[in-house]
Amino acid sequence: MSKILSTLSLLALITGVACAEGGHQLTPESNVLVGSRDGLAITNSMVMVWLATGIIVLFCQAATKKMSMIPVGFQNFAEWIIESLYNFFEGILGEHLVKRTFWFFGGTFLLILISNWLGLIPGVGTIGVQGEDGSVNYLLRGGNADINVTAAMSVVFAVLWFYWAFTENGTKGFFAHIFAPKGDFSGVMKFGMIAIFFLVGCLEIISIFIRPVALSFRLYGNVFGGEQTLESLMALGGTYFAFAPALPFMFIEVLVGLVQALVFTLLSAVFLKLICDHGDHAEDH
Amino acid sequence: MFTVLAANAFTKILNDFGVTGPLFIAQVINFIIVLFVLKKFAFGPIQAMLEQRKNRIAEGEEKLKRIETQLAESEERTTAAIEEANGTAKRLIEEAQESASAISEQKTQEAIASAQGILAKAEEAAKAERAQMVTELKQDFGRLVAATTANVTGKVLNDDDNKRINEEAVASIKG
Repeated sequence: MSKILSTLSLLALITGVACAEGGHQLTPESNVLVGSRDGLAITNSMVMVWLATGIIVLFCQAATKKMSMIPVGFQNFAEWIIESLYNFFEGILGEHLVKRTFWFFGGTFLLILISNWLGLIPGVGTIGVQGEDGSVNYLLRGGNADINVTAAMSVVFAVLWFYWAFTENGTKGFFAHIFAPKGDFSGVMKFGMIAIFFLVGCLEIISIFIRPVALSFRLYGNVFGGEQTLESLMALGGTYFAFAPALPFMFIEVLVGLVQALVFTLLSAVFLKLICDHGDHAEDH
Repeated sequence: MFTVLAANAFTKILNDFGVTGPLFIAQVINFIIVLFVLKKFAFGPIQAMLEQRKNRIAEGEEKLKRIETQLAESEERTTAAIEEANGTAKRLIEEAQESASAISEQKTQEAIASAQGILAKAEEAAKAERAQMVTELKQDFGRLVAATTANVTGKVLNDDDNKRINEEAVASIKG
Protein backbone atom coordinates (compact mmCIF):
# COMPACT_ATOMS: atom_id res chain seq x y z
CA MET A 1 0.00 0.00 0.00
CA SER A 2 2.79 2.38 0.95
CA LYS A 3 4.52 1.53 -2.34
CA ILE A 4 1.39 2.45 -4.27
CA LEU A 5 1.06 5.73 -2.39
CA SER A 6 4.69 6.63 -2.94
CA THR A 7 4.37 5.80 -6.66
CA LEU A 8 1.26 7.94 -6.91
CA SER A 9 2.99 10.77 -5.08
CA LEU A 10 5.92 10.55 -7.46
CA LEU A 11 3.55 10.53 -10.41
CA ALA A 12 1.78 13.56 -8.96
CA LEU A 13 5.01 15.40 -8.46
CA ILE A 14 6.32 14.68 -11.94
CA THR A 15 3.13 15.49 -13.77
CA GLY A 16 2.02 18.26 -11.49
CA VAL A 17 5.31 20.08 -11.44
CA ALA A 18 5.69 19.85 -15.17
CA CYS A 19 2.19 21.16 -15.74
CA ALA A 20 2.49 23.85 -13.14
CA GLU A 21 5.86 25.10 -14.23
CA GLY A 22 5.38 24.81 -17.93
CA GLY A 23 1.68 25.16 -18.18
CA HIS A 24 2.07 23.94 -21.77
CA GLN A 25 -0.25 21.71 -23.68
CA LEU A 26 1.13 19.04 -26.00
CA THR A 27 1.17 20.39 -29.53
CA PRO A 28 0.30 18.24 -32.55
CA GLU A 29 3.82 18.39 -33.87
CA SER A 30 6.71 16.51 -32.28
CA ASN A 31 9.75 18.25 -30.80
CA VAL A 32 13.05 18.10 -32.61
CA LEU A 33 15.79 17.06 -30.20
CA VAL A 34 18.71 17.06 -32.63
CA GLY A 35 18.83 18.75 -36.05
CA SER A 36 16.09 20.85 -37.64
CA ARG A 37 12.53 20.21 -38.85
CA ASP A 38 13.50 20.89 -42.44
CA GLY A 39 16.50 18.56 -42.52
CA LEU A 40 17.95 15.57 -40.74
CA ALA A 41 16.45 15.42 -37.30
CA ILE A 42 15.91 13.24 -34.29
CA THR A 43 12.52 13.89 -32.73
CA ASN A 44 11.18 12.89 -29.33
CA SER A 45 8.67 10.53 -30.95
CA MET A 46 11.50 8.87 -32.86
CA VAL A 47 13.28 8.24 -29.58
CA MET A 48 10.13 6.64 -28.19
CA VAL A 49 9.88 4.34 -31.20
CA TRP A 50 13.51 3.31 -30.67
CA LEU A 51 12.80 2.73 -26.99
CA ALA A 52 9.81 0.56 -27.85
CA THR A 53 11.90 -1.37 -30.38
CA GLY A 54 14.67 -1.79 -27.82
CA ILE A 55 12.24 -3.12 -25.23
CA ILE A 56 10.76 -5.65 -27.69
CA VAL A 57 14.20 -6.78 -28.87
CA LEU A 58 15.53 -7.06 -25.30
CA PHE A 59 12.46 -8.99 -24.26
CA CYS A 60 12.79 -11.43 -27.16
CA GLN A 61 16.56 -11.74 -26.74
CA ALA A 62 16.15 -12.46 -23.02
CA ALA A 63 13.45 -15.01 -23.80
CA THR A 64 15.58 -16.75 -26.41
CA LYS A 65 18.87 -16.68 -24.49
CA LYS A 66 18.59 -20.30 -23.44
CA MET A 67 16.32 -21.74 -26.08
CA SER A 68 15.08 -25.26 -25.50
CA MET A 69 12.77 -27.49 -27.49
CA ILE A 70 10.46 -27.73 -24.47
CA PRO A 71 9.83 -24.08 -23.55
CA VAL A 72 9.78 -22.99 -19.92
CA GLY A 73 9.39 -19.69 -18.11
CA PHE A 74 10.23 -16.58 -20.09
CA GLN A 75 10.70 -18.43 -23.37
CA ASN A 76 7.28 -19.98 -22.95
CA PHE A 77 5.71 -16.55 -22.39
CA ALA A 78 7.46 -15.00 -25.41
CA GLU A 79 6.51 -17.96 -27.59
CA TRP A 80 2.94 -17.71 -26.38
CA ILE A 81 2.77 -14.05 -27.43
CA ILE A 82 4.33 -14.60 -30.85
CA GLU A 83 2.38 -17.78 -31.54
CA SER A 84 -0.91 -16.19 -30.46
CA LEU A 85 -0.24 -13.23 -32.75
CA TYR A 86 0.72 -15.57 -35.58
CA ASN A 87 -2.43 -17.65 -35.14
CA PHE A 88 -4.55 -14.49 -34.93
CA PHE A 89 -3.21 -13.15 -38.25
CA GLU A 90 -3.32 -16.62 -39.79
CA GLY A 91 -7.05 -16.65 -39.04
CA ILE A 92 -7.43 -13.50 -41.14
CA LEU A 93 -4.83 -13.93 -43.86
CA GLY A 94 -4.61 -17.69 -44.24
CA GLU A 95 -1.64 -20.02 -43.97
CA HIS A 96 0.19 -18.84 -47.10
CA LEU A 97 -0.11 -15.06 -46.68
CA VAL A 98 0.71 -15.03 -42.99
CA LYS A 99 4.04 -16.75 -43.69
CA ARG A 100 4.96 -13.91 -46.04
CA THR A 101 3.65 -11.02 -44.00
CA PHE A 102 3.85 -11.87 -40.31
CA TRP A 103 7.09 -9.96 -39.85
CA PHE A 104 5.20 -6.77 -40.77
CA PHE A 105 1.94 -7.34 -38.91
CA GLY A 106 3.54 -8.84 -35.79
CA GLY A 107 6.22 -6.16 -35.66
CA THR A 108 3.79 -3.30 -36.25
CA PHE A 109 1.33 -4.60 -33.65
CA LEU A 110 3.95 -4.91 -30.92
CA LEU A 111 5.55 -1.61 -31.87
CA ILE A 112 2.26 0.29 -31.70
CA LEU A 113 1.25 -1.44 -28.48
CA ILE A 114 4.50 -0.83 -26.63
CA SER A 115 4.75 2.74 -27.96
CA ASN A 116 1.21 3.45 -26.75
CA TRP A 117 1.89 2.02 -23.31
CA LEU A 118 5.23 3.78 -23.03
CA GLY A 119 3.42 7.03 -23.73
CA LEU A 120 1.50 6.54 -20.48
CA ILE A 121 4.61 6.37 -18.31
CA PRO A 122 4.93 9.48 -16.13
CA GLY A 123 7.48 11.83 -17.63
CA VAL A 124 6.60 11.17 -21.24
CA GLY A 125 5.25 14.38 -22.69
CA THR A 126 5.79 16.21 -19.40
CA ILE A 127 9.53 16.47 -18.85
CA GLY A 128 11.33 18.85 -21.15
CA VAL A 129 13.70 21.71 -21.54
CA GLN A 130 12.27 25.20 -21.56
CA GLY A 131 13.55 27.41 -24.33
CA GLU A 132 14.27 31.13 -24.18
CA ASP A 133 10.93 31.88 -25.84
CA GLY A 134 9.09 29.95 -23.12
CA SER A 135 8.29 26.91 -25.25
CA VAL A 136 9.09 23.49 -23.77
CA ASN A 137 11.04 20.95 -25.77
CA TYR A 138 9.73 17.69 -24.38
CA LEU A 139 12.33 14.91 -24.27
CA LEU A 140 9.87 12.12 -24.85
CA ARG A 141 6.53 11.90 -26.59
CA GLY A 142 4.15 9.01 -27.26
CA GLY A 143 5.36 7.45 -30.51
CA ASN A 144 1.94 7.39 -32.10
CA ALA A 145 1.07 10.88 -30.89
CA ASP A 146 3.17 12.12 -33.82
CA ILE A 147 1.42 11.88 -37.16
CA ASN A 148 4.74 11.52 -38.96
CA VAL A 149 5.14 8.12 -37.25
CA THR A 150 1.65 6.85 -37.97
CA ALA A 151 1.80 8.20 -41.54
CA ALA A 152 5.13 6.44 -42.05
CA MET A 153 3.60 3.17 -40.86
CA SER A 154 0.57 3.58 -43.11
CA VAL A 155 2.61 4.51 -46.18
CA VAL A 156 5.01 1.61 -45.67
CA PHE A 157 2.00 -0.67 -45.38
CA ALA A 158 0.45 0.85 -48.52
CA VAL A 159 3.62 0.19 -50.52
CA LEU A 160 3.86 -3.35 -49.16
CA TRP A 161 0.15 -3.84 -49.88
CA PHE A 162 0.75 -3.06 -53.57
CA TYR A 163 3.81 -5.35 -53.62
CA TRP A 164 1.99 -8.28 -52.00
CA ALA A 165 -1.17 -7.68 -54.08
CA PHE A 166 0.75 -7.71 -57.38
CA THR A 167 2.93 -10.70 -56.48
CA GLU A 168 -0.04 -12.71 -55.26
CA ASN A 169 -2.46 -11.86 -58.10
CA GLY A 170 -0.27 -10.83 -61.01
CA THR A 171 -0.92 -7.54 -62.82
CA LYS A 172 -3.95 -8.86 -64.71
CA GLY A 173 -5.35 -10.50 -61.64
CA PHE A 174 -4.86 -7.36 -59.57
CA PHE A 175 -6.92 -5.21 -61.95
CA ALA A 176 -9.44 -7.98 -62.48
CA HIS A 177 -9.86 -8.12 -58.73
CA ILE A 178 -10.78 -4.46 -58.67
CA PHE A 179 -12.69 -3.93 -61.91
CA ALA A 180 -13.98 -7.33 -63.09
CA PRO A 181 -17.68 -8.09 -62.49
CA LYS A 182 -18.28 -10.63 -59.77
CA GLY A 183 -20.82 -13.26 -60.68
CA ASP A 184 -22.06 -14.86 -63.87
CA PHE A 185 -24.10 -12.57 -66.12
CA SER A 186 -25.23 -12.71 -69.73
CA GLY A 187 -26.87 -10.49 -72.33
CA VAL A 188 -27.62 -6.83 -71.56
CA MET A 189 -27.15 -7.53 -67.87
CA LYS A 190 -23.53 -8.41 -68.55
CA PHE A 191 -22.79 -4.98 -70.11
CA GLY A 192 -24.63 -3.26 -67.30
CA MET A 193 -22.62 -5.11 -64.72
CA ILE A 194 -19.35 -4.32 -66.49
CA ALA A 195 -20.21 -0.60 -66.31
CA ILE A 196 -21.29 -0.83 -62.67
CA PHE A 197 -18.23 -2.78 -61.58
CA PHE A 198 -15.99 -0.35 -63.46
CA LEU A 199 -17.46 2.49 -61.39
CA VAL A 200 -17.13 0.36 -58.24
CA GLY A 201 -13.50 -0.26 -59.20
CA CYS A 202 -12.90 3.49 -59.52
CA LEU A 203 -14.33 3.98 -56.03
CA GLU A 204 -12.14 1.09 -54.84
CA ILE A 205 -9.06 2.83 -56.23
CA ILE A 206 -9.99 6.01 -54.34
CA SER A 207 -10.57 3.90 -51.24
CA ILE A 208 -7.14 2.28 -51.62
CA PHE A 209 -5.46 5.69 -51.60
CA ILE A 210 -7.58 6.95 -48.71
CA ARG A 211 -6.75 3.91 -46.53
CA PRO A 212 -3.26 5.07 -45.44
CA VAL A 213 -4.67 8.47 -44.54
CA ALA A 214 -7.48 6.90 -42.52
CA LEU A 215 -5.13 4.44 -40.83
CA SER A 216 -2.62 7.11 -39.83
CA PHE A 217 -5.18 9.68 -38.63
CA ARG A 218 -7.20 7.08 -36.70
CA LEU A 219 -4.20 5.90 -34.73
CA TYR A 220 -2.74 9.37 -34.29
CA GLY A 221 -6.10 10.87 -33.30
CA ASN A 222 -6.81 8.26 -30.65
CA VAL A 223 -3.38 8.37 -29.06
CA PHE A 224 -2.92 12.11 -29.24
CA GLY A 225 -6.48 12.65 -28.05
CA GLY A 226 -5.83 10.32 -25.11
CA GLU A 227 -2.71 12.22 -24.14
CA GLN A 228 -4.57 15.52 -24.41
CA THR A 229 -7.38 14.16 -22.24
CA LEU A 230 -4.94 12.96 -19.59
CA GLU A 231 -3.12 16.28 -19.60
CA SER A 232 -6.33 18.30 -19.34
CA LEU A 233 -7.55 16.12 -16.48
CA MET A 234 -4.24 16.43 -14.66
CA ALA A 235 -4.50 20.19 -14.87
CA LEU A 236 -7.77 19.92 -12.95
CA GLY A 237 -6.10 18.25 -9.96
CA GLY A 238 -3.84 21.12 -9.02
CA THR A 239 -0.16 20.90 -8.20
CA TYR A 240 -0.13 17.92 -5.83
CA PHE A 241 -3.21 15.95 -6.88
CA ALA A 242 -2.85 16.13 -10.62
CA PHE A 243 -2.83 12.34 -10.79
CA ALA A 244 -6.27 11.91 -9.19
CA PRO A 245 -8.63 12.98 -12.00
CA ALA A 246 -6.47 11.32 -14.63
CA LEU A 247 -6.03 7.97 -12.86
CA PRO A 248 -9.24 6.27 -14.12
CA PHE A 249 -8.43 7.42 -17.64
CA MET A 250 -4.97 5.90 -17.40
CA PHE A 251 -6.62 2.47 -17.23
CA ILE A 252 -8.81 3.35 -20.20
CA GLU A 253 -5.72 4.51 -22.11
CA VAL A 254 -4.03 1.16 -21.40
CA LEU A 255 -7.01 -0.48 -23.07
CA VAL A 256 -7.08 2.10 -25.87
CA GLY A 257 -3.38 1.40 -26.54
CA LEU A 258 -4.15 -2.27 -27.07
CA VAL A 259 -7.32 -1.65 -29.08
CA GLN A 260 -5.64 0.85 -31.39
CA ALA A 261 -2.72 -1.51 -32.04
CA LEU A 262 -5.25 -4.18 -32.82
CA VAL A 263 -7.38 -1.93 -35.06
CA PHE A 264 -4.43 -0.72 -37.13
CA THR A 265 -3.01 -4.18 -37.79
CA LEU A 266 -6.38 -5.88 -38.09
CA LEU A 267 -7.59 -3.40 -40.73
CA SER A 268 -4.28 -3.65 -42.58
CA ALA A 269 -4.56 -7.44 -42.59
CA VAL A 270 -8.16 -7.29 -43.79
CA PHE A 271 -7.21 -4.88 -46.62
CA LEU A 272 -4.53 -7.28 -47.73
CA LYS A 273 -6.80 -10.29 -47.45
CA LEU A 274 -9.47 -8.58 -49.56
CA ILE A 275 -7.13 -8.03 -52.49
CA CYS A 276 -5.45 -11.45 -52.19
CA ASP A 277 -8.64 -13.43 -51.65
CA HIS A 278 -8.94 -16.05 -54.37
CA GLY A 279 -12.09 -17.59 -52.99
CA ASP A 280 -14.78 -16.07 -55.23
CA HIS A 281 -13.16 -15.99 -58.63
CA ALA A 282 -10.13 -18.19 -58.63
CA GLU A 283 -10.81 -18.99 -62.27
CA ASP A 284 -10.11 -15.38 -63.26
CA HIS A 285 -6.44 -15.71 -62.46
CA MET B 1 -9.20 26.53 -59.04
CA PHE B 2 -10.56 23.54 -57.13
CA THR B 3 -7.18 21.81 -57.33
CA VAL B 4 -5.40 24.84 -55.95
CA LEU B 5 -7.89 25.13 -53.09
CA ALA B 6 -7.56 21.43 -52.33
CA ALA B 7 -3.77 21.65 -52.41
CA ASN B 8 -3.81 24.66 -50.09
CA ALA B 9 -6.17 22.90 -47.69
CA PHE B 10 -4.01 19.79 -47.73
CA THR B 11 -0.85 21.82 -47.07
CA LYS B 12 -2.59 23.61 -44.21
CA ILE B 13 -3.64 20.27 -42.68
CA LEU B 14 -0.10 18.97 -42.96
CA ASN B 15 1.30 22.11 -41.35
CA ASP B 16 -1.30 22.05 -38.57
CA PHE B 17 -0.41 18.48 -37.70
CA GLY B 18 3.33 19.08 -37.93
CA VAL B 19 3.99 16.95 -40.99
CA THR B 20 7.14 17.91 -42.86
CA GLY B 21 8.78 16.14 -45.77
CA PRO B 22 12.14 15.43 -44.13
CA LEU B 23 10.58 14.30 -40.86
CA PHE B 24 8.11 12.07 -42.66
CA ILE B 25 10.85 10.48 -44.79
CA ALA B 26 13.00 10.06 -41.66
CA GLN B 27 10.12 8.28 -39.93
CA VAL B 28 9.57 6.02 -42.95
CA ILE B 29 13.25 5.03 -42.93
CA ASN B 30 13.10 4.70 -39.16
CA PHE B 31 10.06 2.42 -39.36
CA ILE B 32 11.64 0.23 -42.05
CA ILE B 33 14.79 -0.14 -39.91
CA VAL B 34 12.65 -0.92 -36.86
CA LEU B 35 10.74 -3.61 -38.77
CA PHE B 36 14.02 -5.12 -39.97
CA VAL B 37 15.48 -5.09 -36.43
CA LEU B 38 12.32 -6.67 -35.00
CA LYS B 39 12.29 -9.32 -37.71
CA LYS B 40 15.96 -10.13 -37.27
CA PHE B 41 16.40 -9.93 -33.51
CA ALA B 42 12.93 -10.27 -31.99
CA PHE B 43 10.72 -12.52 -34.08
CA GLY B 44 13.43 -14.40 -35.94
CA PRO B 45 14.73 -16.68 -33.18
CA ILE B 46 11.28 -17.32 -31.72
CA GLN B 47 9.71 -18.03 -35.09
CA ALA B 48 12.62 -20.30 -35.98
CA MET B 49 12.06 -22.25 -32.75
CA LEU B 50 8.31 -22.39 -33.38
CA GLU B 51 8.95 -23.59 -36.93
CA GLN B 52 11.45 -26.17 -35.69
CA ARG B 53 8.98 -27.44 -33.12
CA LYS B 54 6.20 -27.49 -35.69
CA ASN B 55 8.38 -29.54 -38.05
CA ARG B 56 9.30 -31.85 -35.22
CA ILE B 57 5.68 -32.35 -34.28
CA ALA B 58 4.84 -32.95 -37.95
CA GLU B 59 7.70 -35.47 -38.15
CA GLY B 60 6.45 -37.10 -34.97
CA GLU B 61 2.96 -37.33 -36.39
CA GLU B 62 4.37 -38.74 -39.63
CA LYS B 63 6.32 -41.32 -37.67
CA LEU B 64 3.26 -42.11 -35.60
CA LYS B 65 1.26 -42.67 -38.77
CA ARG B 66 4.02 -44.90 -40.14
CA ILE B 67 4.16 -46.84 -36.87
CA GLU B 68 0.38 -47.19 -36.87
CA THR B 69 0.49 -48.49 -40.45
CA GLN B 70 3.30 -50.87 -39.57
CA LEU B 71 1.42 -51.96 -36.48
CA ALA B 72 -1.71 -52.60 -38.52
CA GLU B 73 0.33 -54.58 -41.06
CA SER B 74 2.07 -56.46 -38.27
CA GLU B 75 -1.29 -57.22 -36.66
CA GLU B 76 -2.59 -58.48 -40.00
CA ARG B 77 0.51 -60.64 -40.44
CA THR B 78 0.22 -61.90 -36.87
CA THR B 79 -3.46 -62.67 -37.32
CA ALA B 80 -2.71 -64.51 -40.56
CA ALA B 81 0.16 -66.41 -38.89
CA ILE B 82 -2.04 -67.28 -35.92
CA GLU B 83 -4.81 -68.43 -38.25
CA GLU B 84 -2.33 -70.51 -40.19
CA ALA B 85 -0.87 -71.93 -36.99
CA ASN B 86 -4.38 -72.66 -35.74
CA GLY B 87 -5.18 -74.47 -39.00
CA THR B 88 -1.95 -76.46 -38.81
CA ALA B 89 -2.51 -77.26 -35.15
CA LYS B 90 -6.07 -78.33 -35.85
CA ARG B 91 -4.89 -80.55 -38.67
CA LEU B 92 -2.14 -82.04 -36.51
CA ILE B 93 -4.61 -82.69 -33.70
CA GLU B 94 -7.00 -84.38 -36.08
CA GLU B 95 -4.17 -86.46 -37.50
CA ALA B 96 -2.98 -87.27 -33.97
CA GLN B 97 -6.50 -88.18 -32.97
CA GLU B 98 -6.87 -90.41 -36.01
CA SER B 99 -3.48 -91.94 -35.38
CA ALA B 100 -4.25 -92.35 -31.67
CA SER B 101 -7.56 -94.05 -32.38
CA ALA B 102 -5.87 -96.38 -34.88
CA ILE B 103 -3.14 -97.23 -32.38
CA SER B 104 -5.72 -97.62 -29.65
CA GLU B 105 -7.74 -100.02 -31.80
CA GLN B 106 -4.61 -101.95 -32.62
CA LYS B 107 -3.58 -102.10 -28.99
CA THR B 108 -7.10 -103.13 -27.99
CA GLN B 109 -7.05 -105.93 -30.53
CA GLU B 110 -3.62 -106.99 -29.33
CA ALA B 111 -4.79 -106.85 -25.75
CA ILE B 112 -7.85 -108.91 -26.63
CA ALA B 113 -5.69 -111.43 -28.45
CA SER B 114 -3.25 -111.53 -25.61
CA ALA B 115 -6.06 -111.96 -23.09
CA GLN B 116 -7.59 -114.71 -25.15
CA GLY B 117 -4.16 -116.45 -25.31
CA ILE B 118 -3.77 -116.08 -21.55
CA LEU B 119 -7.27 -117.47 -21.03
CA ALA B 120 -6.58 -120.41 -23.33
CA LYS B 121 -3.34 -121.15 -21.55
CA ALA B 122 -5.05 -120.85 -18.20
CA GLU B 123 -7.79 -123.23 -19.30
CA GLU B 124 -5.22 -125.70 -20.53
CA ALA B 125 -3.28 -125.42 -17.28
CA ALA B 126 -6.47 -125.81 -15.30
CA LYS B 127 -7.42 -128.85 -17.33
CA ALA B 128 -3.97 -130.42 -16.84
CA GLU B 129 -4.05 -129.62 -13.16
CA ARG B 130 -7.53 -131.09 -12.86
CA ALA B 131 -6.45 -134.25 -14.65
CA GLN B 132 -3.47 -134.55 -12.40
CA MET B 133 -5.63 -134.02 -9.34
CA VAL B 134 -8.09 -136.56 -10.56
CA THR B 135 -5.28 -139.07 -11.05
CA GLU B 136 -3.90 -138.33 -7.63
CA LEU B 137 -7.35 -138.57 -6.08
CA LYS B 138 -7.95 -141.85 -7.80
CA GLN B 139 -4.69 -143.20 -6.49
CA ASP B 140 -5.49 -141.95 -3.00
CA PHE B 141 -8.96 -143.38 -3.25
CA GLY B 142 -7.58 -146.79 -4.31
CA ARG B 143 -5.16 -146.75 -1.42
CA LEU B 144 -7.95 -145.82 0.96
CA VAL B 145 -10.19 -148.54 -0.40
CA ALA B 146 -7.38 -151.13 -0.05
CA ALA B 147 -6.61 -149.96 3.47
CA THR B 148 -10.25 -150.03 4.42
CA THR B 149 -10.65 -153.52 2.98
CA ALA B 150 -7.65 -154.74 4.85
CA ASN B 151 -8.98 -153.35 8.10
CA VAL B 152 -12.49 -154.73 7.54
CA THR B 153 -11.44 -158.17 6.50
CA GLY B 154 -8.46 -158.38 8.79
CA LYS B 155 -6.55 -159.89 6.04
CA VAL B 156 -3.12 -158.87 5.12
CA LEU B 157 -3.24 -157.83 1.51
CA ASN B 158 -0.38 -158.53 -0.76
CA ASP B 159 0.75 -156.41 -3.63
CA ASP B 160 -1.46 -158.18 -6.13
CA ASP B 161 -4.49 -157.68 -3.92
CA ASN B 162 -3.70 -154.06 -3.42
CA LYS B 163 -3.26 -153.60 -7.13
CA ARG B 164 -6.49 -155.27 -7.98
CA ILE B 165 -8.50 -153.44 -5.34
CA ASN B 166 -7.00 -150.18 -6.51
CA GLU B 167 -7.86 -150.86 -10.10
CA GLU B 168 -11.42 -151.88 -9.19
CA ALA B 169 -11.91 -148.79 -7.01
CA VAL B 170 -10.51 -146.49 -9.63
CA ALA B 171 -12.62 -148.15 -12.28
CA SER B 172 -15.73 -147.59 -10.22
CA ILE B 173 -15.14 -143.81 -10.14
CA LYS B 174 -16.60 -141.82 -13.03
CA GLY B 175 -14.37 -139.75 -15.10
